[in-house]
Amino acid sequence: MILLAALVAGLVTGLALARWRGYSYQAPNLKHLWLVFAAFLPQYIVFYVSGDRQNVSALLLPLSQALLLIFAWLNRQLPGMMILLLGTALNFTVIAANRGFMPISPQTASHLVPQAVLENVQPGERFGTKDILLLPEDTRFEWLADRFLPPAWSAYQVAFSFGDVLIAFGVFQLLAQQGLLLENFYSRGTPI
Amino acid sequence: MKNKLNLVVVSLSKINRQHIQLLFVLLSLTMLVIGAGAPEDGGGSTR
Repeated sequence: MILLAALVAGLVTGLALARWRGYSYQAPNLKHLWLVFAAFLPQYIVFYVSGDRQNVSALLLPLSQALLLIFAWLNRQLPGMMILLLGTALNFTVIAANRGFMPISPQTASHLVPQAVLENVQPGERFGTKDILLLPEDTRFEWLADRFLPPAWSAYQVAFSFGDVLIAFGVFQLLAQQGLLLENFYSRGTPI
Repeated sequence: MKNKLNLVVVSLSKINRQHIQLLFVLLSLTMLVIGAGAPEDGGGSTR
């Protein structure tokens, strides 16, 4: 949800900037889009449609993210894409190093679900969609795990990683800056 | 008259193409961030 919020915020900002400058907003010129579909659709089917298959999921998530890394690298010339690439690489690193899932500590998880629910999940078991419950001392690259939380007063509680933050900033910049790029094209006299 | 009609048709097709292209890119970016990110809100069932 927080990543989609960043995407929407970037789009709204880009549209507002383009409108303010009197230009029409144009979509980023992404290449090799088929890679995104090839990476995401299997992940979507396994995680959200077909239910839990631990062995398949553990293999699929790093594989899917590797394809998304390639996509981001092939589009690295676009604004924000290098930040998004770095965020994806960090998430890929911590997921690949921890049994194919994003680690989350019991302490962080306790902010997301009632204690009674958490007591039914043992360390090493899946938690939520892409996460695995792991003790901090058993987690590789613990600083890259889902360890950040919004302020306690926030009604919406979500655990996110440093990689997630970079992905959010990257997609925001990618869409927001489209509202400014057209000015550069005009100033160089290049027709749109 | 025919030229104007053609102009309108061409303009509409251009607008539609741009909109469809933007929607397609937004769909792709949505899949990209959901696929690359891994935030957890506890909304899903624990396994």
